[in-house]
Amino acid sequence: MNYFLSGFFICGLLLAFFYDTWSVAIGVGGLSLVAYYSVKSILPDSNLYQYVASLILGIFMAQYIYQMHGLFEMHFIAFVGSAMLITYQNWKLQIPITLLVILHHALFAYLQFVRVDGIYFTQLDYMSLSTFGIHALLAASIFFISGLWAYQFKKFSEKNIEQTYRIASLNEAEVQKEALLHANHELDKFVYSVSHDLRAPLSSMKGVIEISEEETKDELLLKNFSLLKGSIKKLDDFIQDILQYSRNSRMEVKKQSIDFAEMLEDITNNLKHMSSNNERPVEILYSVSNQKLFVSDKSRLNVLLSNLVSNAIRYQNPVVQNPYVDIQVNMTDIETGIVVKDNGIGISAENQKKIFEMFYRVSENIVGSGLGLYLVKEIVDKLDGKIEVESEPGKGTAFMVCIPNGN
Amino acid sequence: MQNNKRPSFYKKVMIVDDTYVDRYIAERNIVKYGLAEEVIAQESASAALAYLKDLWEKKEELPQLIFLDIRMPEMDGFGFLKEYEKFTDGIKRNCIIMMLSTSLNPEDHKRAADNPYVSKFLNKPLNAEQLRLLIENEPHLKSA
Repeated sequence: MNYFLSGFFICGLLLAFFYDTWSVAIGVGGLSLVAYYSVKSILPDSNLYQYVASLILGIFMAQYIYQMHGLFEMHFIAFVGSAMLITYQNWKLQIPITLLVILHHALFAYLQFVRVDGIYFTQLDYMSLSTFGIHALLAASIFFISGLWAYQFKKFSEKNIEQTYRIASLNEAEVQKEALLHANHELDKFVYSVSHDLRAPLSSMKGVIEISEEETKDELLLKNFSLLKGSIKKLDDFIQDILQYSRNSRMEVKKQSIDFAEMLEDITNNLKHMSSNNERPVEILYSVSNQKLFVSDKSRLNVLLSNLVSNAIRYQNPVVQNPYVDIQVNMTDIETGIVVKDNGIGISAENQKKIFEMFYRVSENIVGSGLGLYLVKEIVDKLDGKIEVESEPGKGTAFMVCIPNGN
Repeated sequence: MQNNKRPSFYKKVMIVDDTYVDRYIAERNIVKYGLAEEVIAQESASAALAYLKDLWEKKEELPQLIFLDIRMPEMDGFGFLKEYEKFTDGIKRNCIIMMLSTSLNPEDHKRAADNPYVSKFLNKPLNAEQLRLLIENEPHLKSA
């Protein structure tokens, strides 16, 4: 714009040279530039200077017309100015120049009409109303188009900026996601590697103990071996619990269709093999009603049910004749309710509040890592479900779990 | 659980494991429960591969069953399988391979299941119960 404005000023000087209108060239041109640059320097943050520019572009037009003694064609300088204003992307800037043109036209036409001297303006002779109308229309359409382009220019560049920003943030999100997936995978590998290295010597120990057990009938030795195996199992269970906890907290929820009957059968088979020497076999009953298409995270549900059922086995009531755990699954379209009920030793009211805490165990005597119910709660939370417990010491316990349907 | 009456199920099996204790357990149990007459213990995948290669002309001497540990230094169980694939069909048709591990990594389980030469994935330790099941179920060579 600086170049254009200086160009305008210089044109004014050139015209003055030809037409001997120096005072106007320097005076009006100079004043216009002064106005523009002073507003720009006084208020650099405001866009007022743009409106001033619009105005003085109109003034230059008037100046040229005057300098060339009423050359009507110089009106198109206003259109040049109008076009230049598009670059500011503000349609409102057309207003000052439009108003000036109208004002200038009206004022000077009137002045000429009342025959004031020295006004260089279009000769009224060849100005008829229809011509005037056409000129007005053309001028209006040019100002309008310039305004429109200014507006569209602005919208277009806004959209461009928005799109560039969106693409940039998408890329950033992609990069972040990649990095996160990679970090997760590395952590996964680390956790598996560590758990493997912890479990390997345990399995070796278990193998040697079993070999030794077969070599003797000595009751004391056999008892000792059994205690050793018990400790090993405790440690092994703990390692597996930690592994499950790590996987649950990090891995995304995977959705697939769940067959509860199949899952419960697998769990029953696994737990039958896992009961340690001190535990009587516990009868595992289950029923699935209102079979519906249920979508959720299969491995997490497996861990949840395994933990609840193995707890029921561990905390059985020694004085009861037939210890059992009953799992009832009831499905609706929006959720599945699971009730795991046993006739075990039960949980006192004050303990009921704490059982879901990490590493909380009711009794030191009972083999458990203290992570089981904590993990159950974490899984329920991860799947946006609910869990409640009802229990009476000496009678039994019931866990009520509700998992929303993921489809 | 003595099986003195029944002849051994296999003539020769091989255990590949870098840990002495695990080889000891496997060897003892295999002989005791009559899975095989002879047990060859190899402490590394490369030693096992060399042993098998040497026998390509004497097919009767090849082990009928191979227990393969996964985690071993230098070359692991899957590395062994990669090299094993290059062996002649003469060798490959004679050996049933079972992976033996304490790994809980589902990727390991999947890799074993996908491998055409692995018949089963067993959990350590190789105890009486597992051997009994093996004898009962008579593992077959996986159809490649």
